Amino acid sequence: MADRVILTIGTRKGVFVADAAKPRRSFALRGPFGPGVPVYSTLIDTRGTPRLYASSCNPFFGMKVLRSTDLGKSFKETKSAPAFPKEDGRALANIWSLEAGSGKKDLWCGVEPASLFKSHDGGDSWEMVPGISNHEHARKWQPGAGGLCMHTIIRDGNRVHLGISTGGHYLSEDGGDTFRASNGGVGAGFAPDPYPEFGQCVHKIARHDDAPDRLYMQNHGGWAEWTGPGGPRPDIGVLRSDDYGHSWRSIAKGLPSDFGFPILVHPHDADTVYVMPLDPATRSCPGSAPAVWRSENGGDSWSRLSRGLPKKQSYFTVQRDAMDIDRLMVPALYFGTTTGQLWIGREAGEQWDCLFDSLPPIHNVKVEVV
Amino acid sequence: MASTPTITIHVAGPLRTYCAGAAQLSVSAGTVSAALEDLERNQFALYRNLCDETGRLRRHLNVFVNSDNMRDLDGIDTMLAPGDVVTILPAVSGG
Repeated sequence: MADRVILTIGTRKGVFVADAAKPRRSFALRGPFGPGVPVYSTLIDTRGTPRLYASSCNPFFGMKVLRSTDLGKSFKETKSAPAFPKEDGRALANIWSLEAGSGKKDLWCGVEPASLFKSHDGGDSWEMVPGISNHEHARKWQPGAGGLCMHTIIRDGNRVHLGISTGGHYLSEDGGDTFRASNGGVGAGFAPDPYPEFGQCVHKIARHDDAPDRLYMQNHGGWAEWTGPGGPRPDIGVLRSDDYGHSWRSIAKGLPSDFGFPILVHPHDADTVYVMPLDPATRSCPGSAPAVWRSENGGDSWSRLSRGLPKKQSYFTVQRDAMDIDRLMVPALYFGTTTGQLWIGREAGEQWDCLFDSLPPIHNVKVEVV
Repeated sequence: MASTPTITIHVAGPLRTYCAGAAQLSVSAGTVSAALEDLERNQFALYRNLCDETGRLRRHLNVFVNSDNMRDLDGIDTMLAPGDVVTILPAVSGG
């Protein structure tokens, strides 16, 4: 029986771990782990004995992968980190996503510059996945402000969805051997062609096991006022697909901004989706009043969840992987801010409390019940 | 024909875990570049911390030959003499 809620918190100065008993009244914090360098991705792997993973993005000595086998009481480096073949000419600049693979020790890892790696031994050795890493588009992708990152890996049987900023959504239907750009209806605001084949600045993609054909996407919005070639592009920031990502349509109507980074689906209801709209210029919440917005009908309408959050003068950003939701019967949401606060949204986001208020800037928050 | 000089590489504290705790390594190399190639062959885990996959020295590291930064000499082509000490340190950072 599950009895602990575990949070991994990737920050600019290492990874922290927090845990609580199921009522989630209070969390105990451990860390920071690692050499005080940024952690952009974490994974709580609940297959078998739980393992925690964290990227460790060392600006001096390069990328590492950290692993914990004691629920985050200690971390050690794996034997190696993903690395491009020497003749490839690219060098690893960051590790943006860690996901569980199909085999018990299989891991998938999305990196910067945007490429995909796999491990079959729990992160001790890695091999590049050529179908996307050497895709004919790969050398044409461009970095966004955060870098040219592969930040989303969603596995669904033989389907694999990837999110790349800026590259767009790529879909494999053969288990990851081959990929194709799948961006029909996904707009781009920074190119003359508003709907290019690829090159969109996708921020995050989410799905639910009960509705595998449906995907939700937070795309780079904020282009309603654009007056250049191609004309304005309103509402391209929050999207939905009902055909496994082959085509997408806007569900941004009703939101105060279509710009944002994270997007989540309720663990027990594929129609309930959460975003955190941000002003596209300041990348803080509209009106300097933070709020998570929830749709309970798949994006047809939205409501604001802000009870307990600051009502004014709050200017943090919530980054693409800094919001998650647990899987308890009545789940709680969690988000971490660039100003170092970790918030919990109890009762599925109805009531917000600050769990920790002085952490380093937060890049990544993951939660599991173990 | 002159023999290849034996030099000493001083290993910074955070990197010693990648070479079995050694604080110093003795290497036969005529240039800084050759010293790094020796590490690639014989101390790969340490080498990976110093150079990326393309073989380029990581951006935020400084290499000193005795007390001189190699960038003020001939970069990675800086010649080494017997007894030289090569020290590789992270660049100073703050803020």
